[in-house]
Amino acid sequence: MNVWLVAACVLLAAGMGPCLWRACTGDPAQRLMGITLGGTVAVGVCLLVARGVQRTSYVDVALVLAVLSPAGTLVFCRCLAGGGRPEARKARTRRS
Amino acid sequence: MEARHAVVLVLLFCGLAAFLISAVALLVLPGPYQRLHALTPATSLGLPLMAAALAVDTGPGRAAVKFLVIGALVAVTGPAVGIAIGRTVTETSAVDATASGTGSEPPA
Repeated sequence: MNVWLVAACVLLAAGMGPCLWRACTGDPAQRLMGITLGGTVAVGVCLLVARGVQRTSYVDVALVLAVLSPAGTLVFCRCLAGGGRPEARKARTRRS
Repeated sequence: MEARHAVVLVLLFCGLAAFLISAVALLVLPGPYQRLHALTPATSLGLPLMAAALAVDTGPGRAAVKFLVIGALVAVTGPAVGIAIGRTVTETSAVDATASGTGSEPPA
C-alpha cells in the first residue's frame, strides 16, 4: 500500500461520494455537474492506481476517459437543452 | 528522502486537496450558477497538479509526456464543459420559467 494507492482511496471515497450525491438528486440540468466532476475524479483515480500498481497500461484507460467523459457530458447537455425537444426550441425562438 | 520525492509528494497532495475542495464545493454551494464553479478546482488545478506529480515521478520520457497530455486535456475540456452546462441550466430554467410563468433570470 504505497502513497499512490492511499491517495487513490482518499480521492475515490471523498471525491466520488459528493459527485454521486449531486448526480442522483436535484434538477436534471444540475445533475450534469455531478457527472462531470465524477468523470474528472475517475480520471484522477485511474492515474493514481496506474502508478500505484505499477502498470503503465492503465494510463491509457485514464487517457480514453479524459477524452470521452467531456464528450458524454456534451451529449447530455444537447439532449437536455432541447436539441431534440420542440418546446425548448419554441421557447428559444420566442425569446430571440 | 530525495528532493524529487519531496516535490512529487507536494504536487500530489496539492492536487488531492484541489480535488477535495471541488468535491466539498459541489455539496456546499447553493444555486446552480454558483455550483458551476465547483468544477474548476478539479479540472484546472487538481488533475494538472496530479499529472505533474506523476510526470516528475516517472522521470523524463514518453510516459511523462502522456501524463502531461492527460493533464492538459482535462484542463482544456473543463471550461468548455462548464460553459455547455451553464447554457443548459439557463435554457432549461428558461423553459421551466415560461411553463410555470415565474422568470428566474441568471444573476447579471
